Amino acid sequence: MSFLIDEGRNIQHLLMGNEAIVRGALEAGVNVAAGYPGTPSSEIIETLSKVARDRNLYVEWSTNEKVAVEVAAAASFAGLRSLCVMKQNGVNVASDFLLHLASSGTRGGMVLVTCDDPGALSSVNEGESRLFAQILEIPLLEPGDFQEAKDIIPWAFALSEKIRNVVMVRSVTRLSHGSGNVRFGSLPGTSARAEFVCHGPLLDPETGPIISMILAAPELQHGPQQEKLKKAAEIFETCPFNTYQGPDEPELLIVTASICSLYSREAVRILGLEDRVGILKLAATWPLPERLVKKHLAAAKRILFVEEVVPTLEDHVKVIAAEAAGEIGAKTFYGKKSGHLPSVGELNPDLVLDALARIFPAAAGTGPAASPGGVKDIPQRFTPARGMTFCPGCPHRASYWSIHNALALDGRGGFVCGDIGCYVMGTLPAGFSTVKTLHCMGSGSGVASGFGKLRSFGMDQPVVAVCGDSTFFHAAMPALANAIHQRSPFTMILLDNRGTAMTGFQPHPGSPTNVLGEEAPALDMEKICRSMGAKVETSDPFDLVKTREKLNRLLEYGEGAKVLILRQACALSPEKRGQRKYEVSVDAERCRGENCGCSRLCTRIFGCPGLVWDREKEVSRIDEMICAGCGVCADICPAGAIVRKEVAR
Amino acid sequence: MNHFGSGELETAVIQSELCIGCGACVRLCPYFDSYRGKTALLFPCAVEKGRCFAYCPKIEVDLDAITRFLHGIPYDGNPLGHHRGIFIARAGEKVRKQPFQAGGTVTALLVYAFRSGNIRGAVLTNRKGLLPEPRFVTRSADVYRASLSKYTAAPTLSALNEALDKGHGNLGVVGTPCQVTAVSQMRMNPMDKPGFKDPTALVVGLFCTWALDFRRFETFLAGEVPLEKIVKIDIPPPPAQVLEVYLEDGKRAFPLDRIRPLVPDTCGYCPDMTAEFADVSVGVLEGRGDRNTLIVRTERGERIVREAEKKGFLVLEEMPRENLEHLQWAAGNKKKRGFLRSREAGKVNGEPGKTLFRLAPECLDGVFQDR
Repeated sequence: MSFLIDEGRNIQHLLMGNEAIVRGALEAGVNVAAGYPGTPSSEIIETLSKVARDRNLYVEWSTNEKVAVEVAAAASFAGLRSLCVMKQNGVNVASDFLLHLASSGTRGGMVLVTCDDPGALSSVNEGESRLFAQILEIPLLEPGDFQEAKDIIPWAFALSEKIRNVVMVRSVTRLSHGSGNVRFGSLPGTSARAEFVCHGPLLDPETGPIISMILAAPELQHGPQQEKLKKAAEIFETCPFNTYQGPDEPELLIVTASICSLYSREAVRILGLEDRVGILKLAATWPLPERLVKKHLAAAKRILFVEEVVPTLEDHVKVIAAEAAGEIGAKTFYGKKSGHLPSVGELNPDLVLDALARIFPAAAGTGPAASPGGVKDIPQRFTPARGMTFCPGCPHRASYWSIHNALALDGRGGFVCGDIGCYVMGTLPAGFSTVKTLHCMGSGSGVASGFGKLRSFGMDQPVVAVCGDSTFFHAAMPALANAIHQRSPFTMILLDNRGTAMTGFQPHPGSPTNVLGEEAPALDMEKICRSMGAKVETSDPFDLVKTREKLNRLLEYGEGAKVLILRQACALSPEKRGQRKYEVSVDAERCRGENCGCSRLCTRIFGCPGLVWDREKEVSRIDEMICAGCGVCADICPAGAIVRKEVAR
Repeated sequence: MNHFGSGELETAVIQSELCIGCGACVRLCPYFDSYRGKTALLFPCAVEKGRCFAYCPKIEVDLDAITRFLHGIPYDGNPLGHHRGIFIARAGEKVRKQPFQAGGTVTALLVYAFRSGNIRGAVLTNRKGLLPEPRFVTRSADVYRASLSKYTAAPTLSALNEALDKGHGNLGVVGTPCQVTAVSQMRMNPMDKPGFKDPTALVVGLFCTWALDFRRFETFLAGEVPLEKIVKIDIPPPPAQVLEVYLEDGKRAFPLDRIRPLVPDTCGYCPDMTAEFADVSVGVLEGRGDRNTLIVRTERGERIVREAEKKGFLVLEEMPRENLEHLQWAAGNKKKRGFLRSREAGKVNGEPGKTLFRLAPECLDGVFQDR
């Protein structure tokens, strides 16, 4: 049994931020949780799934984030408490439904947890979900530490039920993936009954249908929605997670939220400015509690905003300051706009230290000597420089090898439209720089569908899209449907590595099991594509020759959309992990090394980390510790020097 | 010699559209490969001086050095190249009867060379559909299958490289002038490999005015005839001016004016009609579609031709003077055109690594003055 359903009240556990959010949801008596995997959010649904049976929860990995919110909304409509979870990009996907949900309102408490990734540590962008709260006109809460990550969730559920609308809780990578002590509260009972009461009058929020249908009468729904937001703002004035520490009349007021509050506290302490600088840590960041903010602004002449990425808190507080200027006087602001803090990338205590040192020059240098260039540079100084690459035994390396070669041999300037997954590295030497466009989930196939229609403008380059198996279901099927219907001659390559590999093998509709490990109907991508009308081929990417030949034939094959499924499980998948198909070794006598006829193809171009160039002996060798035994390198070696032997079972 | 690597080769030959796709750089290493008549560099190679560059017949071809290597004399610009004799030839009674392009001389020579043990393997060009397919064969029976002209450029020499990689020697090679040039450069051991031994025993050159770009030719024909029904392609000697496509159920003829746009630009730079660096060269005899012209160039070529004649594999006749003069005129024209085009492009005795041909300037003047 997971310690997360420990009944013991007041005991402390060391929890990851995402686990704290889970415990918070359990203490809130959540009934339904849905999400789509995405770092740094994935552990929340996974952890909930582990206690689902014990706590009588329904948990699912949905096909995409929009569906996840819809699934969670249904639970809310039926009077249950529901949670939906995603990373920042997911909110973009879900935003269409969310906008309408915010308009129709909810019944049972519904909380949207989004885990943003400032610095894009595991993302293709550092887009912000905070701004969505404004667009959707729903309240936003940002926990500032691990205890709050737990405590804020039941509070958010209660708020959702008070205002009858969805409440957004935003975490960031360092909170979701960092760990801290969390004191547990009590768990409620697990009985819950769902019923959708919907036969009342059209606009009755208690008994009527739940619809978002303004139809030229905004006052009917939009008006009440804004009233809900005003109510939330009022509640936020006394939100227990808005805190202040520091003197009554600080020389500088730091206004901050989320994990940045910890950076602020650390920097203030290091510089010994506790008696001079106050920290207003807001957890309720949209709509802002105006009276609370105004009270603190009035007490200080100078304000520093400490928040990550774009200036959001900064802008909103400045509006309050402008409106209250007659009352509280003119202020000097420091933050992104003044250049004291960057508006790209993560913050850290060093950056806040620098900003404070610029405001308090005399205090600079009083703290312990910071590392030259900051903490962030330490790893760079002690680890060898190396490019991002695929794992040993990764099917994507083999797939890109064949795709790259097929396009080079085809010779018509063909290119690949990329998509989201580990295979984004197709843009890099790891994937032989094969991918030439890269955006969001499913967009590779949509963009390729468009490129395919440019033949009438003289574009004769072959167009290829790559798409993962999870991505296929998430967002690429509409693009394929479009391409087929519009007769767009592109080749979609499904990199089927048997799971949502990048985020940790979460099941998707093509998987034979669900999040609980129960048997589930697996949708057959090959049959789907064929019945949609595409010409479909399948190949094992580890068979380099056949894969390349099949792809070249598809590229030659005239009109319409074509699909090549490259099926091989991820090297880290549970079914493969720790099992080598081949023992691989290098015959040093035959290795041509840097000579004409090879020029270190395996270590210089193919680049599997399991292959190592021995500088002294001037031959390649296998790093047996990490070689996954896929044996593909034996097929690329021009000298037959890489030898593979099947491992006896 | 000016030798460089794959990067320079890609810039100066492939990207400059000088590549004919002969296959000389293919199967030496994993970097070059050929697909549907086109050669591609798959990845950058870091070797500064590579065999790919040294063998390529479209860059830094030192005509003087090759002629000295083969014959011990400098290149003199003779329209037909250095030769010991020119004959009318056809296959003898020892050669199995089957459809030949003309007199069956190439098949006869190869079959005899195999049977007599002069060669132990041969590099030929088969056809798979319309696509020429390089073949390495080790039995005389396999020679027959390659007997018809392809007319499209083919990566034949990739099969030679593959055979050499496996350690084969005493090889017969049949190729077009560009391919024979590449083979002669390979035989010179340009990378000074220790213990190198010439792996060829008989190099048969094929007369060539130009070749067709496979992809363009296929696209053209696909719009005209059912490709799977093609049995033979022929360009009969002038004054016909047509390309004939023999189908299972008939024949189609296309005016050469429609075919010439399918010739790759690189053929315009070529000064060699008769495969001057072969042991023997073979073409269709003008005016007699069932006979070949045979030019004998080297001692070893002459020995095999004479033996083949004696053993009934080959029938030789004297070449009439007027035929000879016309052959010389035609070959001289191609030589002048090729050198003129090359010189205009700055590719004769030009910048190292970007030059097509090197030869003595006075010899070049001689070619242009020759009437």
